Amino acid sequence: MALSKEELKAAILQKAETAPKPQLYVKDFYACDPDAKPREIKNAANDLVKEGKLMFWSSGSTTMYAMKSRIKDEEGASGVN
Amino acid sequence: MAKHETPLLDELEKGPWPSFVTDIKRQAEKKPECWDILGQLELSYVEKITHWKHGGIVGVFGYGGGIVGRYSDLPKRFPGVEHFHTVRLAQPSSKYYSTKHLRDLCDLWEKYGSGMTNMHGSTGDMVMLGCRTEALEPFFYEMTHNLNQDLGGSGSNLRTPANCLGSSRCEWSCYDTEEACYQLTMHYQDEIHRPAFPYKFKFKFSGCPNDCVAAIARSDVAVIGTWRDNIRIDQAAVKEYVAGNIPSNGGAHAGRDWGKFNIQKEVINLCPNNCMWMEGAELKIDDAECTRCMHCINVMPRALRPGADQGATICVGAKAPILDGAQFATLIVPFMKVSAENEFEELIEFIEKVWDWWMEVGKNRERVGETMQRLGLPTFIKVMGLDPIPQHIKEPRSNPYVFWQEEEVPGGFQRDVEEFRARHAA
Repeated sequence: MALSKEELKAAILQKAETAPKPQLYVKDFYACDPDAKPREIKNAANDLVKEGKLMFWSSGSTTMYAMKSRIKDEEGASGVN
Repeated sequence: MAKHETPLLDELEKGPWPSFVTDIKRQAEKKPECWDILGQLELSYVEKITHWKHGGIVGVFGYGGGIVGRYSDLPKRFPGVEHFHTVRLAQPSSKYYSTKHLRDLCDLWEKYGSGMTNMHGSTGDMVMLGCRTEALEPFFYEMTHNLNQDLGGSGSNLRTPANCLGSSRCEWSCYDTEEACYQLTMHYQDEIHRPAFPYKFKFKFSGCPNDCVAAIARSDVAVIGTWRDNIRIDQAAVKEYVAGNIPSNGGAHAGRDWGKFNIQKEVINLCPNNCMWMEGAELKIDDAECTRCMHCINVMPRALRPGADQGATICVGAKAPILDGAQFATLIVPFMKVSAENEFEELIEFIEKVWDWWMEVGKNRERVGETMQRLGLPTFIKVMGLDPIPQHIKEPRSNPYVFWQEEEVPGGFQRDVEEFRARHAA
């Protein structure tokens, strides 16, 4: 059974927090709810960015998601406030 | 006064051509950080290694695209390019802007960035080169509030859609490319500004098969104008071309004497499908064999015009060479009506079916054309709910990539071999 949006967001956050790599593709979140459509996962992850709980990391050609506290900012500090 | 010695770059100022080195030196007189671009580039020429790092978390609030982080890996030596982010701005349809708008944008970029631009990037965006992280938000605020200008796409987003001049300037346009581009840009604002896909996704709109935005080579969904009736022929104008009274190609080759126009040599013999011939003084075309190459229409625009039943061909899956080499888009729908009257409903439905499939099965950093190649065209056309048609076959015999399923064959695959052999000798 598909998770509710809030449950899905919580599962995405947990994945972002515990995954071995700090930066994750949107597809890496698909397993958080195998019953959800890719668009629902994408929308939930983008909502978490709006809420300030995840951040986008972009190479310019690809975009990934990361927890604020887990990524090293190119501008020096580890973790971004 | 130059900040760095740049003997290797200085070589690029010699010769008759415009030089980006000269441009950057001129800009550096106003914006001293530009000296550090030259210094860092000179070092890269010496060491044969880049000193740029790209990517990062930079962006503006609410957006997940449009800004590409760039940093120097030698910030102490070249502090002017410590941060040198790229900002992509959405170009207007057909790249029509007023000079006032361009001046205002340039003034704003002088205020917040390096003042250097790239008009335009390959996707069509106006590219503003070089600013610091702290300048991004104020630049974005002024750009959106004062200039009514938006960012373009980057990352795993829908990239800024692009179109040819369409019917605004071109009589060959088979649908309103500007309207299609504008309406789809507005319809997909979320996909342009926030990541949605396994990788980048582009659509481009060309009004006719001349494909002036190179949609077939550069876009995941290419919408290329076409017609399904007959090329319209004005036989009186054909005679005028033959008599040499109208210059061929609209006079484009008039700078040199190529001799008298020869319709047989310059048009009929160059038809890829040999579907044209003369009957007396009349030009005849077997339209069923026409591949819409546009050559005859380009040579004799006053005599030949695209047919009147117009729409678009939809091709899917072009890309530049990253994994398997460059790839042209594959024809999927030979003809579709593309019209604002039904709000481009059929096209939107098609695009979203492609997205739903690709988001599900596409691998990370895999363009939709690569997914199609990996899983096969039969899978793709089945997912799209389309029947295989002859146009899906690239060539007979060597690549029969449309296979019958058992349920599509009367009697299935369990047939009586004895009975078959009685009718067909081995």
